Amino acid sequence: MFKKTLTMLLLILFVSIFALTACGSDDETDATDDAQGTSDNDTEEVDDGTDEDGDDGDGVKEEVTIDFMHLWPAGISAGQNRIVNEIIDQFQDEYPHIKVEQEVLENEQYKTKLQVVSSSNQLPDVGMTWAAGFMEPYVQGNLFSPLDDILDDPFRSSFVSGTLEAYSVDGVNYAFPLELNIAPIYYNKGIFAEHGLDVPETYDEFLNVVETLADNGVAPIALGNRDRWTGSLWYMYLADRIGGESALNSAIDRSGSFENPALIQAAEETQKLVNMDAFNRGFNGLSNDEAKSEFLNETAAMYLMGSWELPNFTTNEDIPQEFRDNVGFFKFPTIEGGEGDLDSWVGGPGVGLFVAENSEVKEEAKLFVKYFVEKWGEQSVTGAGVIPGTAVDTSSIDLPQLYIDVLNELGNASNITLFADVQMSPGVAEVHLNMIQSLFGNDATPEDFAKTHEEALAEEE
Amino acid sequence: MLYDFKKKGEHEMDKVMSDKKVILLYVLPALILIMTIVYVPIILTGYYGLLKWDGIGEKTFIGLDNYSKLLTDSMFWKSTYHSFLLAAFSVISLGAYLLVSVILSGKIKGSNLFRKIYLVPMLLSSVAIAQLWMKVYHPTNGVMNRFLLSIGVENPPLWLADTSIVLYAIFLPIIWQYAGFYILIYYAALKNIPESLVEAARIDGASPWQIAYKIKVPLIAGVIKVTIVLAVVGSLKYFDLIYIMTDGGPNGASEVMASYMYKQAFRMNDFGYGSAVGFFLLLIALTVTWLIRKLTATKEEVQY
Amino acid sequence: MVETKVSKSQTKSTSQLEKPPSLMRGLMLSKITSWVLFILLSVLAVVQLLPLVWLFFFSLKNNQEVFNLSPLAFPTEPKWENYVTVWTQGNINTYFFNSVWITAASVLLTVFVASFVTFAITRMKWKWNKLVLGLFMVAMMIPIHSTLIPLFSFYTTIGIMNHPLALIITYSAFNLPITIMILLGFYYTLPREVEEAAIMDGCSVHRLFFTIILPMTKPVLATTAIINMIYNWNEYVFVNTFISSDRFKTLTVGIQNFIGQYSTDWGAIGATLMISIIPILLAFFVLSNRIVEGITSGSVKG
Repeated sequence: MFKKTLTMLLLILFVSIFALTACGSDDETDATDDAQGTSDNDTEEVDDGTDEDGDDGDGVKEEVTIDFMHLWPAGISAGQNRIVNEIIDQFQDEYPHIKVEQEVLENEQYKTKLQVVSSSNQLPDVGMTWAAGFMEPYVQGNLFSPLDDILDDPFRSSFVSGTLEAYSVDGVNYAFPLELNIAPIYYNKGIFAEHGLDVPETYDEFLNVVETLADNGVAPIALGNRDRWTGSLWYMYLADRIGGESALNSAIDRSGSFENPALIQAAEETQKLVNMDAFNRGFNGLSNDEAKSEFLNETAAMYLMGSWELPNFTTNEDIPQEFRDNVGFFKFPTIEGGEGDLDSWVGGPGVGLFVAENSEVKEEAKLFVKYFVEKWGEQSVTGAGVIPGTAVDTSSIDLPQLYIDVLNELGNASNITLFADVQMSPGVAEVHLNMIQSLFGNDATPEDFAKTHEEALAEEE
Repeated sequence: MLYDFKKKGEHEMDKVMSDKKVILLYVLPALILIMTIVYVPIILTGYYGLLKWDGIGEKTFIGLDNYSKLLTDSMFWKSTYHSFLLAAFSVISLGAYLLVSVILSGKIKGSNLFRKIYLVPMLLSSVAIAQLWMKVYHPTNGVMNRFLLSIGVENPPLWLADTSIVLYAIFLPIIWQYAGFYILIYYAALKNIPESLVEAARIDGASPWQIAYKIKVPLIAGVIKVTIVLAVVGSLKYFDLIYIMTDGGPNGASEVMASYMYKQAFRMNDFGYGSAVGFFLLLIALTVTWLIRKLTATKEEVQY
Repeated sequence: MVETKVSKSQTKSTSQLEKPPSLMRGLMLSKITSWVLFILLSVLAVVQLLPLVWLFFFSLKNNQEVFNLSPLAFPTEPKWENYVTVWTQGNINTYFFNSVWITAASVLLTVFVASFVTFAITRMKWKWNKLVLGLFMVAMMIPIHSTLIPLFSFYTTIGIMNHPLALIITYSAFNLPITIMILLGFYYTLPREVEEAAIMDGCSVHRLFFTIILPMTKPVLATTAIINMIYNWNEYVFVNTFISSDRFKTLTVGIQNFIGQYSTDWGAIGATLMISIIPILLAFFVLSNRIVEGITSGSVKG
């Protein structure tokens, strides 16, 4: 009896394996793609056959498939995902011989997979990368294709100035930005009014706001510092307002030192905030999601975060209308005696598109990337609430006021300092992020904080 | 060729049971699987550990540099210490699981249902377990701190933010997560003990505790040894909940070997060094397992 | 007090007739302790069930409720639409089907291959058995993240990248050591007389294995099957690394549909987790009955 079941089960197992192997090798439609090995099969296999028939009329161009890996799943990033699909559809209509196949992964998994596939030189034809420190190893390893040849003039000047540079290594451009963000301090107008507080114009006023709120049992600032880059934003602003925009940048690009008194003072100010109970309880063990919910739930009054949060404060129907109406933002106030400018922001481009150097369809991939970036810029704000790397004409589109205000600030920005952990190489970034957590947890003195950074940066030189 | 009806005797048994072809046939499938899929990566990991490599671009051979760096890397040893602590707690907790299993394997009413219920949390994925415990440990509205506040504790601990307690706070869900796993193994082992042995002891007037302690537990000693090894090795390479709940933080206070390896290899793009950490982890686990086997060795395995 | 009732085995009559006085007192005492134990066990059972209840409530909440309501509070307006979202967005049907068959295939492969080798190691006589066993134990000790890059390039070379076969053999290989370890403890305790008798009767090794040994190990086979099943079902690192096509992805990938760049839709993740736990819960209850069944029906006493 048992033997019989066993034989049956084994039989089923082998048959199913062979069946699958067989249907796997059936997919000859993507022959050009086989060398890529990774993503030659997709759910749209059926469409393939019909496409082929349709193209017989052209008969000129060989069918090619572009693999496109991104991190905008249909579930959470519905807006982005819809636009991506629309652009791909349009592109495929315009170039019937090209087929674009997507693979979607979540952030962390995406990064891991990108590195794994790179180790075997199997990058997708088109994919997403982050700027500066993140992409540098890929450029050094000759995995990304230079894109200067398609960066012709009307296209080049459509990018917001400074964004392309973040994706350039030694003056050569390797990716085009899709996102551009700045980080304002969002605040709850209701809570401010309740305690008779005004939007702070100077840092002293800001400290006063913090003190008043803390004394009244409201968490002044929501911070989820388990994710560490969240705390880094606070430190970066303090460094900028005290030492000016060049203080941090020069320490990172090694034209200066991290043991600059201004950078140490910024660390001292950070700890001063912590000791004033400026941040919600237990912030070092909370994720950004958990901290955000405290702001959304009106238990914390302020939240320093990127402009990617704007949909939550304007259009997101899951969040009560009264709350959304109550959210405003202000710029990080200037510090008396500091060198920083009120219009200097922390922020920068987020993800950008790259083309793989060893792609077998490099020409088509470049065509697609350019097409994508152009189309994306036209609809990303309205369709997905994402501020693109290309200039947006606010007068011609209908947007919530908060968006328009942020976009105007972006236009008036005197400087945008790229997020420190993106600017630095991955190794130094990890040191930076760990030190941020120690600084906020009072486990490191401001001097140690600066010294550890300086050592890590010097070691890389 | 195996049908040999001629003689019955000890050597006949030996002959049949030492047939080389049969042995090969039974061992080979598993051996091939493990050699290609697990040993190739193990060897390559050791080799990558000799390289300066970001996992992306060019590889440079640097000999034992990564390994010597490892020996003086205080963060690595800290995470090793954390991993060993976890292993120690896991082994201690086995005692509790054994106790529960012994009770369940008795004829207490409802034991069949209890047994199943106890294993339910094991079915949850780490994502779910992490979310649950983050709710338990939330500093202001977590279950734990609400309870502590309600009984008058002024400043309840910041479970996951306090560097001095985060490690122990995170051990609790890890150990709880595996409760079902070990109870399942012990239960199956205890159920495998022939009823006649237990019965005989009972007739001799042994109390249930004596039966458990003097008969049941010794009879499953082999299984217990196996679970000790599994608990230790599993703890030494544990990754999931730590990665999701604290990410090794704050500032490395809950870092373990596997999470440290992951960070080095994939976050800091130092794949060479990460591989060295991974290979070292394997060597450490190997040594510890060997020690356990030595310490728990008995002359002969029990047979019923 | 654990063994209050006397089992229905052949010794029944004797034990009931000749109870010594001390045993009588023991039985009285054991009645009380038995109740105490029962209550303790019940409390424990409730605790162990709470996570499931929590997950169910969690799946009906939106982010605000997830973070701000108490974990065991039922949401005022349950978001049943989380389930609709999960079912309508993405290819959850495909994922579901893939999860089931890939898990089943891997479990079967592992359990049988492991049984073969454990049998050979523990019951057959050859020189290298301890060494081979050692090889399997060492294989347990590698952290999986170390294996990603080597395996990726290996599968690319042999051309099974982005194919379910890559997952099945990876799962089987990585679960083999632990499966063998668990089987080992049980195989050592199997009475040798059984096989001796079988061999004397002229039974071949294959018949011995398939008709006598395998049925005897049914309880432990069920145990290892459950463990394997849980591991494979919840695995996602290998799926993400080796599978690119949507049509081969599994349920754990469905969760990623709700993890964004800067935020996460926890309610929908809860719904996905809830959906994905149902089949494994059913399989678990069926298999876990086998653990006991094996003893009463299949076992051959030595």
